[in-house]
Amino acid sequence: MKIAVSGKGGSGKTTIAGTLARAFGRMGQRVLAIDADSNPNLATLLGMSREEAAGIVPLPRDLLQEETDASGNRILKLAMNPDAIAEAYGVKVPDNVTLLVGGKVDHAGSG
Amino acid sequence: MCPSHSTVRGILGELMAEADRVTVTDMDAGLEHLSRGTVKHVDILLIVVEPYYRSLETAFRTHNLARELGIERDLVVANKVRTPRDEEAIREFCQRNHLNIIAAIPYDEQLIEAERLGKSPLDHDACDKGIAEILRLAQVLQTDTPPPHVRTGT
Repeated sequence: MKIAVSGKGGSGKTTIAGTLARAFGRMGQRVLAIDADSNPNLATLLGMSREEAAGIVPLPRDLLQEETDASGNRILKLAMNPDAIAEAYGVKVPDNVTLLVGGKVDHAGSG
Repeated sequence: MCPSHSTVRGILGELMAEADRVTVTDMDAGLEHLSRGTVKHVDILLIVVEPYYRSLETAFRTHNLARELGIERDLVVANKVRTPRDEEAIREFCQRNHLNIIAAIPYDEQLIEAERLGKSPLDHDACDKGIAEILRLAQVLQTDTPPPHVRTGT
């Protein structure tokens, strides 16, 4: 199950995303929570302190590598498998949830 | 679009696609930065709305964009619903615009307080009304969503 949560700033989307992630964990699932917001704050809503959250290392850009597929198209592939990425860069939060953070973007646009 | 920005989106999109477990992704406030590739593996897009018109309009735009991006299923989650009239207005808007609503989370001062404190509402004892509905939503989603790869594809 792959769920994405959208909504305007202040709508409560991050609270809902974080709580759903931990709820699925409590139901016995292994859960990957992904913070794709350019102003990331899913960590605290998952139960981390602000200090812990501030220390999270965002995913490095070179995780995506360009390859050429069998038909000669250029495609982008992950340089490591998702479990290895979760192991290397993921932060464990309560209820069997691992958090990955995409990182801050300085020019977040008008969203 | 700035390359580093799109690179991050690309990584997160691939992660969502390839991860062999439940993923819950907190998206950017606007979906404008998304590309088809980034979100094509999303099973369900939840669109969180508040009971006021601008928020509903945004939800409708997001819904249309989701369709363009190839997301098969998007569902509205009404949040901060204070009165039966709030809920009714959201349901009416959704119905008129062919949006499906899956949950209505009541306005809960304690949820907002947890948010303000930067805490998980699950670790903040006093949240009950709001949390109960989010937990119910999790149940519904889990029961409702066929596991990947065994879809009957209608």
